[in-house]
Amino acid sequence: MTPALTDAERGFQRSRVTRLRRPPVWVATVVVVAVAAWVLFLADGAPAGAAVDDPGKFLVTVLDGVTFAGLLFVAASGFTLIFGLMRTVNMAHGSLFLLAAYVAIRVQEAMVGRSRNIDPADVGLLDWLVPLLAGAGVAAVLGLAIQQVFLQWNEGQEMRQTLLTLAITVVLADQMLREFGGLAQRVVWPGAVTHFFSIMGERYAVTRLVMLGIAVLVGVLLWLWLNRTSVGMVIRAGVDDRQMVRGLGINIRRVFALTFLVGSFLAGVGGVLGASFAGAAPGTDGSWLLNALVVVIIGGLGSLKGAAAGSLLYGTVVAFSPAYLPSQYSYYAIIMTFGLLALVLAVRPYGLFGRPA
Amino acid sequence: MSRLRRRASLALSVTAGLALLAAGCGGGDDDSTGLPADQQNAAGEGDGSPSGTGDGIRLGILGQCEGPFGGFHEDVVAGTTLALARFAGATPNSTTSALEGFSGAEVAGTPIELVGIGCGDDTADRIVQEVRRLVEQLGANVIIGPLSGDEGIAIAEYAKANPELTVFAGISGSQEQTLQVQAPNYFRFYGDGAIWSAGLGDLLHNQEGWDTVAVIADDYSFGHTSAAGFIADFCAVGGEVTHRVFPPLGTTDYSSYIAQLPNPDEVDGYFWAVGGTGTQAALEAFVNGKGDLTGDQHAGNLFFNPDLAQALGTDIAGAYVGGFATLPGDVRTPEIEEYLAAADETWETIPGSLSGNEPAPPSVAAAFGFFYGYYTAGVALVESLEAVGGDISDLDAFHEAIAGLTLDLPYGDISLDENRSGIVDVGLSRLVLDESGEVVQETVAIVPGVDQTFGGTFSPDTPSPGRDFPACEERDLPWVGNAIPVVDGVPQS
Amino acid sequence: MNLRERVTGETLALAGLVLLLVLLPSLATAFFVNFVMTQTLILGLAAATIVFLARYGGMTSLAQLLMFGIAGFMFGNAALDGGARGLNLGWHPWAAVVFAIVVTTLVAFVLGAIASRTTGIYFLMLTLVYGVIGYFVFAQIVEISGPGGITSIQRPDLLGPPVRLYYAGLLLSVLAYVGFRAIRRTAFGLALQGVRDDPVRMASLGFNVPLHRALAFTLAGFAAGLAGLLNVWWNGQIDPASISIGPTLILLIIAVIGGISSLEGAWLGAFVYVLVFTYLRDLPLVDRIGITEARFNTVIGVIVLAIMVLSPEGLTGIARRLPVRTTRKELGGTRA
Repeated sequence: MTPALTDAERGFQRSRVTRLRRPPVWVATVVVVAVAAWVLFLADGAPAGAAVDDPGKFLVTVLDGVTFAGLLFVAASGFTLIFGLMRTVNMAHGSLFLLAAYVAIRVQEAMVGRSRNIDPADVGLLDWLVPLLAGAGVAAVLGLAIQQVFLQWNEGQEMRQTLLTLAITVVLADQMLREFGGLAQRVVWPGAVTHFFSIMGERYAVTRLVMLGIAVLVGVLLWLWLNRTSVGMVIRAGVDDRQMVRGLGINIRRVFALTFLVGSFLAGVGGVLGASFAGAAPGTDGSWLLNALVVVIIGGLGSLKGAAAGSLLYGTVVAFSPAYLPSQYSYYAIIMTFGLLALVLAVRPYGLFGRPA
Repeated sequence: MSRLRRRASLALSVTAGLALLAAGCGGGDDDSTGLPADQQNAAGEGDGSPSGTGDGIRLGILGQCEGPFGGFHEDVVAGTTLALARFAGATPNSTTSALEGFSGAEVAGTPIELVGIGCGDDTADRIVQEVRRLVEQLGANVIIGPLSGDEGIAIAEYAKANPELTVFAGISGSQEQTLQVQAPNYFRFYGDGAIWSAGLGDLLHNQEGWDTVAVIADDYSFGHTSAAGFIADFCAVGGEVTHRVFPPLGTTDYSSYIAQLPNPDEVDGYFWAVGGTGTQAALEAFVNGKGDLTGDQHAGNLFFNPDLAQALGTDIAGAYVGGFATLPGDVRTPEIEEYLAAADETWETIPGSLSGNEPAPPSVAAAFGFFYGYYTAGVALVESLEAVGGDISDLDAFHEAIAGLTLDLPYGDISLDENRSGIVDVGLSRLVLDESGEVVQETVAIVPGVDQTFGGTFSPDTPSPGRDFPACEERDLPWVGNAIPVVDGVPQS
Repeated sequence: MNLRERVTGETLALAGLVLLLVLLPSLATAFFVNFVMTQTLILGLAAATIVFLARYGGMTSLAQLLMFGIAGFMFGNAALDGGARGLNLGWHPWAAVVFAIVVTTLVAFVLGAIASRTTGIYFLMLTLVYGVIGYFVFAQIVEISGPGGITSIQRPDLLGPPVRLYYAGLLLSVLAYVGFRAIRRTAFGLALQGVRDDPVRMASLGFNVPLHRALAFTLAGFAAGLAGLLNVWWNGQIDPASISIGPTLILLIIAVIGGISSLEGAWLGAFVYVLVFTYLRDLPLVDRIGITEARFNTVIGVIVLAIMVLSPEGLTGIARRLPVRTTRKELGGTRA
């Protein structure tokens, strides 16, 4: 250990070291240009065909990517918020996501008055919004409880906190299987938004745009909260230098608790959106934890901007690779998604907007 | 340097170890005496049963208590228990759960003792460990299970390596476990994933007039197998499969895969074999990208079963569904009534998966395939014991007796082919809305005598069903034209 | 003087343990040896590579089960002949062993090199993503596995009887333990620990920091590959689910139970895990309080939770804190 070096100095030196070796930057540029050329002009053998030949399919794929990115952003924003301030990797994020979905499903079933084959026409706006708030609320309270009981007293021990939340995940997954069973369930979109419109001859669903709209709303509210309120400023200051915030006499514990509450609430909102979009079942928790991880690794842990950029990039790759890989390779689309990660990390080990911890 | 040190420390370990030998032995003895005690504890749960293990049946059941089918743990154990309660005099230890075990089971003077219930998690690794625990620690000599496809292959391999064991498969749907593995002591008294799609192609091509179809299925063994059965059947009668799309498991956004399907005006219909959350998510992506669902343009494997896919919207009504071991609830023969009534008499309630693991009448679980597959295995165990007079000392004779059984079962007779896999009746159905607006199944036909080779499409020498196999070829299928129509739940034979 | 006494005491205890394990097959039931202890040694060896990386390199890796799996898949591909899936190269088993280990080590080097600039939580997450990529590679590329995995894998004739597999596990475990301890004092090991404590200073002293991390990762991958070979011989099959996110986390949990910074803790953690997995549900009491076998994961989760609340150093950490026969002075010495 070298007490002579402060964290900041160390980070500075390290980033200088990284900057010195950056041949991957131009590699990444070449890859991006090549991919764009392929998608636009060359992709004849792909299921969707080259973009200049079939602009409708291209546009739909872009929309698919952007709208899915909205869902990804909601799911990842709480995760990155918590990490940014507290340096806690909340492995229970996926569990909170799934729990909120299950709670919302139960509430919606009770409100609509039936438990299976619910038709969107029978679902009013309130029958969706109330479950959303109920599910996210339960996730927020549980998240806060986890933070108060298991994380508050060992602040700063990142690995220990990570493993604690991991253990909680294992328990929660098992208990949710016991309570909610193993069958796939879903939250039903309200009838008011299950419409379609036509764009360049292709049909498109309003629900996907609703998803994107909610994501934008969440993003804007978060931005306002972090940039226009005093609490938000404390949080941002805490992201930069926790010691200093504490030194200023601010009760950072309360800020931590609040952040965890908001982060878990966002996980819950993501869960209800996700369950409306793709359903919920055992295993959904793991895959959404992974989605959130991928987004924040690409974007950089702890950065809201990074979460937005990471969601867009990840969503785009998810939408484009099955459509624009040559047909015989389309089975490898999902591997492509993670190839993106390797590419980003080769250029920027801490993600697009991240900084060394 | 380091080599020297290592040698020194090894030499040290030997001397040190010798010095500690006495203490070590003490500890070891504790371990070894502790273990058999554990065994007796577990074995003694079925109280009152004779402790002589020489010629009794020591039964182990392999279920799944975790993973996607974790909710069916109670169902499958109850299935076997019901068979033993009906035909071997077993009494369940609890009136509200099958997991507590049973006592008093005996066939032709041979007691059947439940030594343990294995707890799988839908992976082959775990089920192998569970079966080893049942067999090597608890001394099971008969296994009933497992539940899912890849598990079946692993258990069949285990059976092959342990010829003294007798395995009745539970409800695992992979083809290979019997067709390729060929373990002489592994018996399956139900169909497989391909068989459950049989007859659907015939019906859709010859009755509904589909000439072309697009297939979309999960990209793993069971999706491949379901699709393979449908493709083999649909192509055999002259249909054409224009597209095969296999989204990977764990896909969240299906839109890019749906985009690879043809539009509704370019193809006569679609066959779906997408399970879990994907069943609904993929259909919704279809509605988003391709147009409204018109039920009669769609068909699916058992993933469309409304008991499994309770989240499906009502617009799927009209779709055809393949079979899954039992028949939908609209068919009520006296044998079925008797079977369901027996289930309700055996327990007060069973917290099965279809009731969300809440207590419900046992017949709810009993009418579904998971319960029933384990039930047929239990019946096969009882009848084979009767056939050999309760004497299992000659294993070859016991296995021969099993292979020769024809079971008279509520949902149709079942016998085995030369690979010890079931030749079964497959019930095809259609999704309709009942008066309360719920999607239910209405049986449309029963296809008798389906075996897993599909007239030679699948054999021990062909590859496993996959993304490209089988090819689309016309061929003679033994069951084409034999389907028995079902009208208002009454088979017209 | 004091130093030598301490080393001898600790070595004596471990040597006694090894001797006990050598004699175990004649003391315990076949199931205990061939199932419980063999699995303990395999998982312990794999978890020890996590501990090695964490303790000497400061890197908590979730990719060790991937290395474990790659070795298994590669052996299956190379050794099988005429199976339903995989390459079916039909090589001699020992050639397949060499192939599997070489491939695993190479992959470990490449992945280690890519990850070598990240540390701490970032490294943890990046290696988790490695694990997921590995899962999809084997699930999607049917030429080398496909979703059904590779079945009917036979072990080499030399290891035919199950008890020999146990001894192989014991031998490799002892070698890995001694080897990892020995590396600590080599030039490479000292540099690696320097990199763990202060990468910037090591870099300015002229050490190639990323290379040291990558090489440590490679070495850990090699050892995990050995464990992976034992595992496919023990299990007879491997499929993508064997290396999915669930078992990946389980392996980390095993390392954590034992104590993530103590090498012997890896095997202790594996032993506890396998014991809980195998015997817990046999206790009559467990049924009565409502934790049936069906809630096994809850039990494991609560155990990990309790251990992490009590001590981040796991069971070995808890044991060290207890005032047992050894004196505190000696314990302090062990840490230094």
